[in-house]
Amino acid sequence: MDKNIIDNAQDVVSRRDFFKRAATISAVTASTVLLADGADDPAIMHHVPWGQKLGDPVTANRYGVPSKYEHNNLRRNTKLLASGNFQASIAVCPIHESMGIITPNGLFFSRSHGGTAHVNPHEFRLMLHGLLEKEIVLTLDELKKYPSVTRTHFIECPANGGQEWRRPQFNSVQFAKGFMSCAEWTGVYIKDILADLGLKSEALWMLAEGSDNSEMGRTVPIDKVLDDAMIVWGQNGEALRPEQGYPVRLLLPGWEGNLCVKWLKRLKFAKDPFYAKEETSRYTDLKPTGKAIQHFYANEVNSTVVSPSPEKPWTHLNDGDIIEIEGLAWSGMGTITDVDLSFDGGINYVKANLKGLVLPKCWTRWSYMHTYKKGEQLFLTSRAIDDAGYIQPTVDQEVGIMGVEAIYHRNAVETWEVTKTGEVNHVQIRS
Amino acid sequence: MFKLDRKSLLSLSLVATAAIAFTACNSDAEPTGSMTVNGKATIDGAATYPVVNGKTSDYYVNESAHKPGKNYGRIPTANELKAWNTDVTPSKLPPMGSGSVEDGEELYEAQCLSCHGDFGSGGGGYPALSKGNAVDLQKTLTNNRWKDPEADGPTRVFGSYWPVASTLWWYIRDGMPHPLTKSLSVDETYALTAYVLNINEFVIDGVEVDDEYVLDQEKFSKIVMPNVDGFEPNIKGPNALEDVRAYYANAKNFGGLNLNQGAERCMTNCIDKDATQEAASASVVGEVPRVRRIIGVGISDFLPPMSTVRDLPAEDVAFDAKAAYENVCAMCHSSFLAPGSSDWDAYTGKGMDKVYENGINGTEGGMPPMGTSSFSKAEFKSVVDYLVNGK
Repeated sequence: MDKNIIDNAQDVVSRRDFFKRAATISAVTASTVLLADGADDPAIMHHVPWGQKLGDPVTANRYGVPSKYEHNNLRRNTKLLASGNFQASIAVCPIHESMGIITPNGLFFSRSHGGTAHVNPHEFRLMLHGLLEKEIVLTLDELKKYPSVTRTHFIECPANGGQEWRRPQFNSVQFAKGFMSCAEWTGVYIKDILADLGLKSEALWMLAEGSDNSEMGRTVPIDKVLDDAMIVWGQNGEALRPEQGYPVRLLLPGWEGNLCVKWLKRLKFAKDPFYAKEETSRYTDLKPTGKAIQHFYANEVNSTVVSPSPEKPWTHLNDGDIIEIEGLAWSGMGTITDVDLSFDGGINYVKANLKGLVLPKCWTRWSYMHTYKKGEQLFLTSRAIDDAGYIQPTVDQEVGIMGVEAIYHRNAVETWEVTKTGEVNHVQIRS
Repeated sequence: MFKLDRKSLLSLSLVATAAIAFTACNSDAEPTGSMTVNGKATIDGAATYPVVNGKTSDYYVNESAHKPGKNYGRIPTANELKAWNTDVTPSKLPPMGSGSVEDGEELYEAQCLSCHGDFGSGGGGYPALSKGNAVDLQKTLTNNRWKDPEADGPTRVFGSYWPVASTLWWYIRDGMPHPLTKSLSVDETYALTAYVLNINEFVIDGVEVDDEYVLDQEKFSKIVMPNVDGFEPNIKGPNALEDVRAYYANAKNFGGLNLNQGAERCMTNCIDKDATQEAASASVVGEVPRVRRIIGVGISDFLPPMSTVRDLPAEDVAFDAKAAYENVCAMCHSSFLAPGSSDWDAYTGKGMDKVYENGINGTEGGMPPMGTSSFSKAEFKSVVDYLVNGK
């Protein structure tokens, strides 16, 4: 439009006309920043609804909750992993949505043998007795008087991956590898309490017993008690969640999750092991020899690709995209030293990169940058190594010793097939 | 949290800088933006905290924590110790008492059958307690379905698999019946134990545990499990911990794979393609050896269904009393343990308010408060309405 005409026109508009015109213009600008054409992104060209009204007051959530758009980031169940009800069962962690090495408390995997107990902290008592110079009973406040330590460790159910000895069954990383989570725990080393109480030399074993419906108990060798066994009450900076044994659980870094007894009430020191129910009927690994491994403690070195995964496929990628392949590695025997990645199901490997903190008996995140070729079929296999000297076996190496009836402690390499269209499938490579 | 002195931080950053410079001018370097810290590939200067001498505790900084003399808590009384020191083990027998197979069967049918099935045969996901003669079934433990997936697997139930009987007595008393644990007397626990021994066709000290059998502490102490020697490593005796350490020092015992110290791991041609392609059922995809796939869609009955969509959640659905009943209440109320849909006349005579009250507060030896649910009171009442009137 000719500038002069505009100027002339504006010269003659009355005040009333000005306001009328302004109202028309603002009706347009209220919803758009500028006039847009088809190439422009409406998310940029329009004012967003949350930018044009008051948000929630800071008083809205006295205990914060995730964005409502994150409602699918959830622990999940399946009836296969339930003893008839969802009390003696497990809810697995959405590790495909995990970031870094810390699991938020609301997503930490939850396994119990008689449901989540709700312990009144005022009625909580912890008794330490048996082969001690001095037996004691502690209230929660008294327990917390001991000097605390804070450590980051994963907890893993030894049945993680245990449904897949014979072949893969879950097309899902949440179910194939999500029987675990990782958190920063705060509590006291048991050896520090024992320094005060005096452990008798003939004590070889410790019974840890919970106060829940199942009176969950496990026997722990004194070696572990005097190394890094903890009684913990803090999880990621707040009190343990009820699902994790509020107010207090045992933590045996790197060892089977079920050994880390929740809703703890009693530690008994003795010269003989206890043969608790969950160390005979469950958590034993039957070998082809007919003998079963009992007292199978440390979760061995393990890893998985998390992205891509069946939940996080590559269907959206374009040819030539440089994409990060990300995963987790962990070992209950020590610190991750290396992670290798294969694109052909374990024939050839390249070294991947470790990310962030690399801590003992802790999730370790790893990464590899890959240039995606549209239409390529890949078999992504990760393989971790720890500083205890262990490396993940192939499927056949592990099965050659353990057979396929073992259930627990399966740590053979895991493989995702990336199809030509970018879908991701859980497969197993015979080697 | 951990000790990492300035000097080592400085040397770490020097190494990292050198590694970046090296990577930048080395055309053979991986195209991943990686660098090396202390000889390890990292992408963001990852700091490694190793296990030293098999211990994580070297990071321990608060030395005064080890020192005794804190004297927290108090010494438990004799009665308190007696109340909690109740484990039952091979060296710590159950308390004196007795119970018959006959009484055990009656108790079983009233309190156990709904989960564990007729004669302990299992069902509905709950464990089986017997599959027949324990001595015979112990012989199935060498069955393995790797070579022949159609073969019979091993049978692992109490009689054929468990190494000691004390576990059974202890667990029945403290962990059973599942919805109402720690409700059985000593004699009732003996009776149920006797019944489980009976259906597993046990012989104790030369005497068959038949329908007339009465179990007591002395007889209990003479039970020998068929699979008593079926477990490793050894955990008995004063040298048990040495045996355990030796067992786990040998990776071949437990399916681990040990890299010999200093040995390089395989990075190329790690799988013998020819050997693996021999098998008749081989399905070879390109250069990849045999691929085992999920049959059909596999197990996919996920709750809630798998989704990674970031949309607004569906509007809160109305509380579903029927689904709530099925998830929480049916376990008892559809069994002999608690009144079902047709038994309510005896309870509603004092009015529905009394039924609600009993449900919310619980009844002694019967209904647990709110049925152990976390429903609101209004929701709970709607479930009671469904149970009493709805079906």
